[in-house]
Amino acid sequence: MKKFLLNILLFLGCSVVFYAVMICLWGDFGPAILRKNLQDYRGSYGHTYSRIQDAKRAKDIDILFLGSSHTYRGFDPRIFASYGYKIFNLGSSSQTPMQTELLLTRYLDTISPKIVVYEVYPETFTLDGVESSLDIISNDDNDLLSLKMALAVNNIKVYNTLLYSYYRDFTKNDDNFVEDPKKNMDYYIPNGYVERQLTYYRKEEYPKSELVFKDDQFDSFKRILKMMKDRNIKVIFVQAPITPMRYQSYTNNDVFDADMKQFGPYYNFNTILHLDDSLHFYDSDHLNSVGVGLFNQKLVQVLKDNNELSPLQSALQPK
Amino acid sequence: MLFNSLDFAIFLPIVFLLYWFVANKNYHQQNVLVLVASYYFYGSWDYRFLFLLIFSTLLDYFTGLKMGEAKTLASKRFWFWLSVTVNLGFLGVFKYYNFFISSAAEGLSLFGLQVNYWTLQVILPVGISFYTFHGLSYVIDIYYDRIKAEKNFIDYAVFVSFFPLLVAGPIERATHLLPQLKKERQFNYTKAVDGLRQILWGLFKKIVIADNCASYANSIFNDYDQYSGSTLVLGAVFFAFQIYCDFSGYSDIALGTARLFGIELLRNFAFPYFSRDIAEFWRRWHISLSSWFRDYLYIPLGGSKGGTWQKVRNTFIIFLVSGFWHGANWTFIVWGFLNALYFMPLLLTKQSRVNMETVAQGKYLPTIRELLAMGITFALTLIAWIFFRAESLTHAFGYISGIFSSSLFTIPRFPELTGAAMTLMLVAFFVIFEWFGRERQFAISHLLLNSNRVFRWGFYAFLLFMIGMFMHTEETPFIYFQF
Repeated sequence: MKKFLLNILLFLGCSVVFYAVMICLWGDFGPAILRKNLQDYRGSYGHTYSRIQDAKRAKDIDILFLGSSHTYRGFDPRIFASYGYKIFNLGSSSQTPMQTELLLTRYLDTISPKIVVYEVYPETFTLDGVESSLDIISNDDNDLLSLKMALAVNNIKVYNTLLYSYYRDFTKNDDNFVEDPKKNMDYYIPNGYVERQLTYYRKEEYPKSELVFKDDQFDSFKRILKMMKDRNIKVIFVQAPITPMRYQSYTNNDVFDADMKQFGPYYNFNTILHLDDSLHFYDSDHLNSVGVGLFNQKLVQVLKDNNELSPLQSALQPK
Repeated sequence: MLFNSLDFAIFLPIVFLLYWFVANKNYHQQNVLVLVASYYFYGSWDYRFLFLLIFSTLLDYFTGLKMGEAKTLASKRFWFWLSVTVNLGFLGVFKYYNFFISSAAEGLSLFGLQVNYWTLQVILPVGISFYTFHGLSYVIDIYYDRIKAEKNFIDYAVFVSFFPLLVAGPIERATHLLPQLKKERQFNYTKAVDGLRQILWGLFKKIVIADNCASYANSIFNDYDQYSGSTLVLGAVFFAFQIYCDFSGYSDIALGTARLFGIELLRNFAFPYFSRDIAEFWRRWHISLSSWFRDYLYIPLGGSKGGTWQKVRNTFIIFLVSGFWHGANWTFIVWGFLNALYFMPLLLTKQSRVNMETVAQGKYLPTIRELLAMGITFALTLIAWIFFRAESLTHAFGYISGIFSSSLFTIPRFPELTGAAMTLMLVAFFVIFEWFGRERQFAISHLLLNSNRVFRWGFYAFLLFMIGMFMHTEETPFIYFQF
């Protein structure tokens, strides 16, 4: 029995080393078709790599925008600049509160915004966070926070990709990586925005469904709010518009609205701004450049009307 | 608690250590520990149905004792039928009530009679078909004086609820398992290592092959009217490997786990897809169920004795009952019927026991004739699996008519072709190992056994890597849990 237990421990130890070595080799040399649970998203869609590089250098930011792809495709820094506001967009694809928490822990003090606008897309509270974890792990330098996030997400793809990313960070394999600002129809605009060429969307119907929120996402969300409170940063919650057909397919939007109102000022632009499915969107839940223009103008107007931007005005006042 | 879950990965080592280090004074203590662990294992799925399991155990235990004590045949018969009726009654209520009532109503509606009926909204208790058959075999064996009634309740309860086999078999016999539970157990290094090897292979089969095949089989079966005939064939192939690797993977984990506790369970699979005819297939597929039906149904009905008509009748009966055992749906009955039909030519020409040995024994490759025979047998089972997988008979017939269309000879097309290609590569990798290990208990049981430890451990570590790289990322229950 003693021999059995010792051999098991020895085998497990050897297997862990073997596994780690195989992940590194497989990631570097394995054919893409056979990398099912190892997804290296460096430089893939969404320009996360460029955004994170910008976040490391961001300074004097008035408004920081957080959230999913609705954020980095929905808030154009050039429009806000025309109103005199310098913004930074820290959204990423399918970003859930778990990943927002990680990014803020890393970059909030560097960016040091006066106001945070958090785009709360209800579906991000229903996700397991795997896609977004893979995106961030692949495109940022990894530390123990990445491991903590991987443990929270608890998915083999995330573990494998993190292991491989640690190896790439260690060997400085990606130090010469440069991301092309133009990818297919997307163009990266400094400070985190991704502009999509003007395309239109063909209306589609969606079956009715109820959003089922995850408790661990709300736990992360509450920790994010505490982070802001500790730094005395004002947080405004916004829901960016999606196509009315898509929005109406969710049967419990009112429940989510009621939840969000508890946390602070909340504006749901699906009910404030009426856009057209075909003319203002390029797919079911992303605005095209015309839609972004209309949405951003309306957002500034609503925030001003409701005196939400007062921290920016007081910062400009002579003391 | 699933075998492929983190919970089980924690549960198993704890029970193993307690079994060999704490409860190791005598086998009584070990049996008590195993019983508590087994009830915890079952209760973690739904504790309410634990009462059903305990009731079923108590019923068979007491009726067994009463039959043993019976002075007259009438008294013995009374207790026997009480046990059989109550056991089948539970199975009938939980598994078949809705099927019978809705089928009867639909039948009457054909004659213009509309009947208002009510169905039960019950959850099917996991493993009910398996532990009911355990209990039934026990009381039948006592009735026919093959065994004596077990006096120790704990030992009997472990026989019924031993956690590795509790929810999906193998269906054990009292004559095989009870004697093992009633003697001292010595830890055997070789058997324990072999058990771990079998668990590893079972996990690979389940979470790499079966679960990956499942996602493609599901998408093709769910939208079968969108796909070409060739894609539908591919869908059926995916399902064939899903069901085989899911169920035989479960059995491997069960057998391997039991071996860690010094218990040998009945073998359940013997490389069925390398069968040269359907009779051989049924000697290699779900062996514990096939042999249960053979011993407790086919032989009492007269078996292969008597005239041709009796043999044909008995064969149809066991295949139809076997189909019905799988679930309350006409699709399972047609699946059973189809297998009986496949069996008929072999039965009528007395060829059903021709292929008793493993195919191409002692050789690397089969002959062309053997290859052809295996191909035909696989194709026949593939058609039968379509009924097994389909939601309804309409679904199954629609699927089959989709296959036999002009698009049968086109290149298969469906979304995620890359993922499907990867899964086919994994299936090919798996089939190669199965082929070269076909003369063993399980495919990798003797692989590299005489090689240096570095190669041997390297291979096991490589399998672990394959699991990590290709496993399906969501925990998926075993198919046979629903039966």
